Amino acid sequence: MLTTFQGLLSILRKLRSNPDRELRLLLLGLDNAGKTTLLKSLASEDITQVTPTQGFNIKSVQSEGFKLNVWDIGGAKKIRPYWRNYFENTDVLIYVVDSADIKRLDETGRELAELLMEDKLRNVPLLVYANKQDLAQAVTAAEIAEGLGLHNIKDRDWQIQSCIATEGKGVKDGLEWACKSIKKK
Amino acid sequence: MKLLKFLLRYFPPGIALEYQQGGNIKTKMIDLLDLTANTDVKALAESIKAAEPIITDGVTEQLVETLQKLQSKVCDGNFKRYYKYKTLQTHLLPLTNIAFDKLGKRCLTGSYDRTCKVWDIDSGTELLTLEGHKNVVYAVSFNNPKADKIMTGSFDKTANIWCSQTGHCLLNMWGHDAEVVVVQFSPTQNRVATASMDATAKIFHLGSGQELGTLKGHTAEVIALRYNNDGNEVITGAFDGTISVWDTRTMQRTSVLTGHYEEISNCHYNFDCSLIASSSMDKTAKVWDARMNSCLATIRGHEDEVLDLSFDNKGKKLATASSDATVRVWDLSANFEQIAVMSGHREEVSKVCFSPNGHQLLTSSMDRTARLWSLETGCCVQTLNGHTDDVFSCAFSYTGDTIVTASKDNTCMIWR
Repeated sequence: MLTTFQGLLSILRKLRSNPDRELRLLLLGLDNAGKTTLLKSLASEDITQVTPTQGFNIKSVQSEGFKLNVWDIGGAKKIRPYWRNYFENTDVLIYVVDSADIKRLDETGRELAELLMEDKLRNVPLLVYANKQDLAQAVTAAEIAEGLGLHNIKDRDWQIQSCIATEGKGVKDGLEWACKSIKKK
Repeated sequence: MKLLKFLLRYFPPGIALEYQQGGNIKTKMIDLLDLTANTDVKALAESIKAAEPIITDGVTEQLVETLQKLQSKVCDGNFKRYYKYKTLQTHLLPLTNIAFDKLGKRCLTGSYDRTCKVWDIDSGTELLTLEGHKNVVYAVSFNNPKADKIMTGSFDKTANIWCSQTGHCLLNMWGHDAEVVVVQFSPTQNRVATASMDATAKIFHLGSGQELGTLKGHTAEVIALRYNNDGNEVITGAFDGTISVWDTRTMQRTSVLTGHYEEISNCHYNFDCSLIASSSMDKTAKVWDARMNSCLATIRGHEDEVLDLSFDNKGKKLATASSDATVRVWDLSANFEQIAVMSGHREEVSKVCFSPNGHQLLTSSMDRTARLWSLETGCCVQTLNGHTDDVFSCAFSYTGDTIVTASKDNTCMIWR
């Protein structure tokens, strides 16, 4: 190391333990969709005490040789205008839908449609989690996909994944798809 | 209220009014960032007097004299030539970082030999060797302006506080899981901050060495950290490509500045902490509004990684240094336009800083030289030759009359 010494910054760069390729995943969706629960379930953390997110949470998880930095941004209506601050450099957009909240399916569809129009999110693969499949009134992932009009998306990879964030069911499967879609690129 | 005296601050220019109110002695700072050689000092004195009723007719003349003194010191556009004054044969193993005390009388060198040395600039002699770290000493700092303490950060994952007179180790601060690469004293409080390759920064109490909080949130190594003026906020730059803003009272992250595509190489506040600037391996620098946390401009022009950046003392210009062997200067008051490209270095430029009066730039490069540049013309006005290997660091003393350069040849040179 001493012989190849250059600037001070290069010392620090060499100190880095060969980092895995890093991906930036952006987790969005309406309030109470279960984004933070999903994030905590990814990181195998306790999910009994999840409160509405005022700002944002970030967690790193390893998957398929990638280091996934997952950014969970609060979904309350008054926070949504700030979503755009987080668009830059996103590798995968993850959109979480509360499958049991049928009343707001229209609203969540509108928000998603707006996201897909964003220039900074152009061509970014989309993963939709149809969450809360354990609730009695939940509709299936296929119905959510229909409701959101996912079949009309032509400009990017997309996938819908049913899941139960509180039990961790289906969460990993979605992430594996996300990693694969990046590898394909 | 009774006015006691005028105090001068040279860089950036300003005067302070020291006055008595009740039984207390207080000071009020007046910034004079626009002071130039052409400023009409009498008119300036009148306008200050109009705004500050405490200044009576009796002291107006004294105020004018004070301002003239400030003007002659700060606005001296004459170019000073520097001569090699001393060569410090510092350490047997490579050097890391260097730092000055405020008066420019002493400097610090960190090294791979696991020590930090304190040097007397006038005599070029070694005053102290600070031994105790179990690995490379990377970061070094004085608690300026007092400079009675020294802080070191080491690859042994700890930071030490030392008495700058006796060399005694006063505190050992531990808790990081990886190398400590930045150390900073709080400007106002009895606290210090450290940043580490473990992706966190920490705040410690300077009296007890107790850890007060961990700034957790970056997803990669934290390699830059700055306090703001009141000490209640720090910014951190990391290899994850983001800058984070933290409230040091709650230890919570208040914002993340995202937008760079690659690792951050450095970040700074400007003089009044209204702006934040960041440089990145993505070949750009960015300027951010420190209150709104929004990106004001992305500075493009360099053809390779931006390795360092620096605000001038007045916070109106920004200089960036790059692997493309150039240094560029940008105007922060007019649309972030490029004012000058300094080319001449034959290899990457590792560091850049403004002279305290803002008339010159100092750069250090892998081409074994340090150079001084005129901001007016963009031309190289002096090449500091002498090092026999890469020059990786350079600094001005507070008054600008001394320069120190550090090289891979394991020497430091003092220029006056």
